[in-house]
Amino acid sequence: MNPIGERVRPLDWDARTRGTVPYTADLWRPGHLWGAILRSPHPFAEIVAVDTSLAERLPGVRAVLTAADFPEGIRYLHRGAPLSDRPPLAEDVVRHVGQEVAAVAADTREIAQAARDAIRVRYRVRSAPLTPRASLRPSARRLHTRVTDEPNVAMILHSDWGDVERGRNAGSVVVEGSFVYPSVSHACMEPNTTLAAWHEESGSVELWTSTQAPWFIAKEVSHLLGIPHERVICREVAVGGGFGSKSKASEHEILAAALSRKAGRPVLVELSREEEFGANKPRHRFETRLRTAADDQGVIRLFDADILVDNGSYNHMGTSVMRVGVITLGSMYRPDGATFTSRLVDTATQPGGQFRGYGTPQVSLAVESQVDELADRLGLDPLEMRLRNLGPEFATTLCGYEVTTSRLGDCLRVVRDELGWDAHRAARVPGRGVGVAAGMHGSGAYAYASANRSDAAIDVYADGRVRVRHGSADAGTGQNTILAQIAAGELGVPLDRVEVLSMDSERTPFELGAWSSRGTHMTGFSVGIAARGLADKLRALAALKLGTDAVELRGGRAEADGEGVEIGALVALSEEATPDGRLSNEASYLLTGTEMISQDKDRFNLSPTYAFAAHGAVVDVDRRTGKVRVVDYVAAHDVGRALNPTAVEGQIVGGAAMGIGAALGEELVREGGRVVNTSYLHYAMPRSADLPSLRPVIVNGEDAAGPYGAKSVGEMSIIPPGAAVANAVSDAVGVRITELPITPDKVLVALAEKEGRRRRHHLWRRPGRWWVAVIRSLYPLGLHHVLHRYGTRIGRRRRVGRSTGAPPAAPALSAPGSLAEVAALVSQGAQPVGGATDALVERRREPRPAAVLVSTTGVARMRRITEEGGGLRIGAAVTLTELAEALADSLPFVTEAIRTIASPQIRNSATVGGNLAQEKRCWFFRNGFDCYKRNGATSPCYAVGGDHRFQHAVIDGHRCQAVTPSDLGTVLGAVDADVLLVRGAESRTVPVASLYSGPGELTLGDGEFVGEVVIGEVALARRGAFAKLALYQGDFATASATLSARVDADGRWHDTRVVLGAVAPTPWRALATERALNGTVPTARGLRSLLDAELDRHAHPLPGNGWKLDAVAGLAEEAFERLAR
Amino acid sequence: MGEPAVSGAGAGQPPPIRLTVNGAPVEVRAPGSTTLATVLREQLDLRATKIACERGECGACTVLVGGRPTMACVTPAALVREPVETLEAVADEVTDLRAEFADRGAFQCGFCTPGQLVHGAALTRRADELRESGDLQERVRTELSGNICRCTGYQAITQAVCAVIARRATRMPEGAR
Repeated sequence: MNPIGERVRPLDWDARTRGTVPYTADLWRPGHLWGAILRSPHPFAEIVAVDTSLAERLPGVRAVLTAADFPEGIRYLHRGAPLSDRPPLAEDVVRHVGQEVAAVAADTREIAQAARDAIRVRYRVRSAPLTPRASLRPSARRLHTRVTDEPNVAMILHSDWGDVERGRNAGSVVVEGSFVYPSVSHACMEPNTTLAAWHEESGSVELWTSTQAPWFIAKEVSHLLGIPHERVICREVAVGGGFGSKSKASEHEILAAALSRKAGRPVLVELSREEEFGANKPRHRFETRLRTAADDQGVIRLFDADILVDNGSYNHMGTSVMRVGVITLGSMYRPDGATFTSRLVDTATQPGGQFRGYGTPQVSLAVESQVDELADRLGLDPLEMRLRNLGPEFATTLCGYEVTTSRLGDCLRVVRDELGWDAHRAARVPGRGVGVAAGMHGSGAYAYASANRSDAAIDVYADGRVRVRHGSADAGTGQNTILAQIAAGELGVPLDRVEVLSMDSERTPFELGAWSSRGTHMTGFSVGIAARGLADKLRALAALKLGTDAVELRGGRAEADGEGVEIGALVALSEEATPDGRLSNEASYLLTGTEMISQDKDRFNLSPTYAFAAHGAVVDVDRRTGKVRVVDYVAAHDVGRALNPTAVEGQIVGGAAMGIGAALGEELVREGGRVVNTSYLHYAMPRSADLPSLRPVIVNGEDAAGPYGAKSVGEMSIIPPGAAVANAVSDAVGVRITELPITPDKVLVALAEKEGRRRRHHLWRRPGRWWVAVIRSLYPLGLHHVLHRYGTRIGRRRRVGRSTGAPPAAPALSAPGSLAEVAALVSQGAQPVGGATDALVERRREPRPAAVLVSTTGVARMRRITEEGGGLRIGAAVTLTELAEALADSLPFVTEAIRTIASPQIRNSATVGGNLAQEKRCWFFRNGFDCYKRNGATSPCYAVGGDHRFQHAVIDGHRCQAVTPSDLGTVLGAVDADVLLVRGAESRTVPVASLYSGPGELTLGDGEFVGEVVIGEVALARRGAFAKLALYQGDFATASATLSARVDADGRWHDTRVVLGAVAPTPWRALATERALNGTVPTARGLRSLLDAELDRHAHPLPGNGWKLDAVAGLAEEAFERLAR
Repeated sequence: MGEPAVSGAGAGQPPPIRLTVNGAPVEVRAPGSTTLATVLREQLDLRATKIACERGECGACTVLVGGRPTMACVTPAALVREPVETLEAVADEVTDLRAEFADRGAFQCGFCTPGQLVHGAALTRRADELRESGDLQERVRTELSGNICRCTGYQAITQAVCAVIARRATRMPEGAR
């Protein structure tokens, strides 16, 4: 059977699923050094001095690198002069938080990190623009010397394509708007990692590095280290995801190589997750102002765009990302004309990089949103409108693309049929909406010299094994498997005899790597050619042996007239074969007909074929909370012929999921240029339960210009989701969100505006809030600046004193078997912990973490739940999983609440005591900002002026705006639970509500800790319900509501509890609402109006989180309905 | 269950941490707060367990402790009292799940795969319970929400785990629970 086009398993599936395939960090061995990178804490600063002496004196430090270790003025090549602008280590100035300033290699990870922290850098901090709009101001600091006349504009693209005037005149309906696609992170599961081994004798360096394109890594390393390209030798290693980010150098490769050269030992540089989010190069944020005109037939006549692309602090690929982005205006549809001005704007933030879709998702959001707006204005079905605007096959588009095959029309029709489009449109279910978006993407791009060439080699061994050799890298795309399928098909050998060697600079021929969706096209051709050449050689050898020319290769044999010979046996017959029994063939594929990107043209045929897709989404929008949920999704793709349908479907679903993530949750949030959400915890990318079944449909085709009829798929799938979801949301609730991600706040704010709702808090009547209001109003007037710039210098963190260099001692951790021992240690200052899952993480950011931790989990009686007097006594060391199981029948809503906390894995370790006593929830605090709460009164609360939409208090916020994060604490408060607090040999019992004094702050005395939770008999007779709004499954509550009451036979409520979580520094009881409900048979509407009135009396939201009041009131309604059921 | 482990970072050699890993007793010396993931990877050379966040947020480090899925990257080794199972041992128990992963495209880059498989193995041990719990697919999606995958959109992973649960009776391998 010819495996080309078949569903075959990934080549190395057995080893991959045993975990035996090594990724770079798995190669580390004792004797290798660990690297650590010192990064700038400032968005823009002059470097006055770098003092590495303390770090260098530290025992175990083997190399310290600064800019002085590189030739003065040297820059990464990237797209070449005059665009090259980034030094390997900062020289005299840093331009973004996270920029590399120095690097260290040491015997252990701890020593390396300590040495990094012991490097003294004196900065002279300067203000610099952090957003494109700020950068464009004439007064803004210029980050670079650029070739354009405008401040901080690295490049301007301005073009008129087609007949702009005709398009403008022909348009009878015009829509205009501004659309923002945010900066999102690739968030590859494998952190960027390099193991570098310098070889002094040959002056070469071997690299095992997570990359999609070894050739480009070698290019940059050789340039920056000043050694010939061929002395940089990449080796094959498993790569844990790329999505574009690893298609060019990511800085760690160069630093690992330079450290290894300086230390004379192999060095492993492994980025932390914080570095991945905070310092790597995310998707470029686009702000696209677009006017689209159509005629009354629904035919688009003109696109007119003004685009700002946030370049970040260095060029990298911003210029080509912007170019590919604007191409969207002239590629898929057939307007009379398109006109655009697009500016690539420098800002003092992390530079943008290459990301799957490469500018297209950003501009596509604007285009595909406006197609829907036009359809709405014209009274047309949006899907039908797209069908009316299809570009023809085998034609040249406005942007110069020479399109070959296109089955976009079929893709749209598949979406219509599969999704039940017409039925959804007719049904008009409240809150439910349906949306579609189309897209187009090339199969490779002629972006560099020789990007139109790919070489490959194939070997056949005497034992019949076949090996494909190519220089690209499969970071998870399935490229290796597809190439093995091609080789097996061409050589007529069973697939299990084919292996693939990739990436290796010495043993694979010229190939630029996997980027721009070029892998299948380029290496599909080169491997196919190499395989056919080898097949010819084998057939010729067989012809001699078998005495006939009619030789066929199949089943690993060469056969003719019923006779046959194993192909391995033919190897020895060849004069070309190596003495050890290998016959090889190397071939080169040269793509013709495409045009290389250049500065002197604005239209190019970049790619040999173009892929198309239409995605349809069905969403449910919760009008109460603003939460959008995708409930059905069809992604129909024209990929030409699918060479491995399972792999193609994987690319479709994976890209769609990533696109939905950007549509609904993902965004790198910055404060003062620094990324705030540098952890998965705070980066709302979809978890398993957040996505529906995504349904991929391969619209089969065949494109003669592609290898075996194939076109690309990997990037195509991430382009339509943004607009498909935005269009569906608009269909559902009649508001158009033009800035992704479509988070609950944006939906509720838009709905409130549409419905004319406004909350009034009458602060003038509440003198208790005046002082807070005054302070908040001073923040933007300079108070924040003063506290941030100067106040943080004299805070608690500074008083701890500077590093002496030595790595901090690891804390002692014990788990004694008796409560008395735990109590004794806590009395002596030990930090009490349960499973320690949060404590180990939080202590990294503490200026003075506890030296001794004592866990309650060794005490048998603290691990038990006991019944007593009809109630329950729950030991503090009971895990959340155990508590959820124990309460499933008696207090199911508490169980339900627990099961929304974090993940099953965490709930299996985390304890009741630990959960109740956990640190406050605030992404500034948790991610290490020197804030008021961490650093003391002279530091600012970053939430006041920063992004406080989700996590911060709307009621009772004072200097710190954080909230108590414990859902358990909130829900236990609603059942009047008590906690037993232990100190030494004494104990006292207090209501759980009075455990909290502030955001995540406890009323515990010195040496006191939570020993037990007590739920009384009366509580177990309660009915209750819990409702929570979270940005993803397992996230902390953005808001929650718990209702509980004793409900009598007549349905009247008594002892009502209404406890709201994550809206105030501590779990907040709506006492007036509770009182009003007691003795009544409540209704949802009645509850809502009572609660709204009470919230209005008490709330004092920040400018961006007032929506949480609507959300939490909506959650209370939802909880009511559940309780009433 | 052995003695509660006690360890610290006082002067000199830290006290030993005794673990049962993949059925074998082992003793390592490390400061008490050393994570289970570090012990597995760096001292026992069991590198199927991956580190992707070091904050217990992504599931790549999932191992079984007493049969329960646990984030090894935030679990102090000194607090581990029950047997530990990693993919190195679990792989042979879930050959059917591994085959489903391969057939359905449930991994692409493969970095989260050990964690998904270990967690999936724990779910397949609860096959009977999960089969009876209503919407199996929704249940599996919720259970696996602590295991981030950036490549597959979770679709094939969910389907693979459901397929195995659907046809497997619960069995309790020795050493678990």
